[in-house]
Amino acid sequence: MEQKMINELIEKYNVGLADEEDMKAIEQLIESGKIGFTQLRDLAKLDEQIFSIDAGSPSIRLDDQFYSALAQEKNTQVSKTISLPKFEWSSIFPRLAMAASFLVAGFVGGYFLKSPAEDKSVKQLTQQVGELKEMMMLSMLEKESATERLKAVSLSSDMNQVSKKVTSALFKTLNGDENVNVRLAALDVLMNYAKDGEVRAELIKSISVQDSPLVQVALAELMVTLQERKSVTELKKLLKNDKTPKEVKGKIEKSISVLI
Amino acid sequence: MVMAREGDLDKLGLLFERYKKPLYGFFYGLNREQELSEDLVQNTFLRILKYRHLFRGEGDFRAWMFQIARNVNNDHHRGQKIKAKEELEDWQDKLGHNENRSTEMLLADDHQMLSMAMDRLPIDKREVLLLSKYQEKKYHEIGEILGCTEGAVKVKVFRALQELKEVYRQLEKRM
Repeated sequence: MEQKMINELIEKYNVGLADEEDMKAIEQLIESGKIGFTQLRDLAKLDEQIFSIDAGSPSIRLDDQFYSALAQEKNTQVSKTISLPKFEWSSIFPRLAMAASFLVAGFVGGYFLKSPAEDKSVKQLTQQVGELKEMMMLSMLEKESATERLKAVSLSSDMNQVSKKVTSALFKTLNGDENVNVRLAALDVLMNYAKDGEVRAELIKSISVQDSPLVQVALAELMVTLQERKSVTELKKLLKNDKTPKEVKGKIEKSISVLI
Repeated sequence: MVMAREGDLDKLGLLFERYKKPLYGFFYGLNREQELSEDLVQNTFLRILKYRHLFRGEGDFRAWMFQIARNVNNDHHRGQKIKAKEELEDWQDKLGHNENRSTEMLLADDHQMLSMAMDRLPIDKREVLLLSKYQEKKYHEIGEILGCTEGAVKVKVFRALQELKEVYRQLEKRM
């Protein structure tokens, strides 16, 4: 369609004389971009008015709802990153698998070929596996992630025999780890070695070092279970400490009365 | 939005601040209820939060947001079919009142009249006009939202404006 005809059509529309056929032609020209809304006077005015209508603003309630949902999502994101250390495990898994396969190979070998020389090699293998576990556990205890350190502690609970190195690492965790759950896990493992005089003495020393009520109560309970009277002095130190919560003091008093 | 997708959720707060008002205006234009409109803005942003990984980063964020907003609005009304019927009756009653009121208010301003005329348009026409407003006449992006060509969007806007003009005239005559 020529420009002249388009202009005539627009003029017709603007004076209100466009019939049904003209309207169809205008629609087609609008679709192809040859006519813009600004050329259709009434519509341009209406369009402009629609733009100037203010629908108002949402209330503060919307902000509250949105920002609390956002905060929740952020927390979920953080906990996901803490609880999913897949990459770390994948790097450790081959070592574990190798250790396990050595162990199985050692047992199978030992079962079928019981010669003194091979008995010796089985012992060596078992020792190597133990050392490997120990090394892994000690390096994992140094990790920044609390989950990693928890895994390290639980790894040591699988060990039949532990070296002094391991127990001292566990005590370091019990007395100094920033995470209470890790400290409690370390205490759980150390309980198994409480028959050892040195471990027992270290456990007693640890009582007054603790600032977490949970660990304090757990240690007090352990002392009752072990019937360790030497712990009374350390327990009393907690009683004298102003920072010890009332509930914990009550629990400790009960433990002391049982021990005495 | 790309940064929000990559995990920087503070950037989503910025997007919320930038778009909460137009989004609210879009929902308010469709539903005329303040609380409902705020809830729908919240739902839209919750979906953006949930599905942010699906934003490809190639197109316009606002168009993507309005696409989600339309779905949120449709889902809301689909889920409340029975209620919607009742609301329609209420709305018709309300319209009756508005008409009476409008005849009383001989000096009602243009904006009020236009809002009343908008309320009387079918929902699809009202929606295309609101999208044209809040998408700032970017017809190509509106086409992405509605799933049609830019030319088809222009025709839809034309038809909606045409009908709005008629309704507006009728209201003018009654006053």
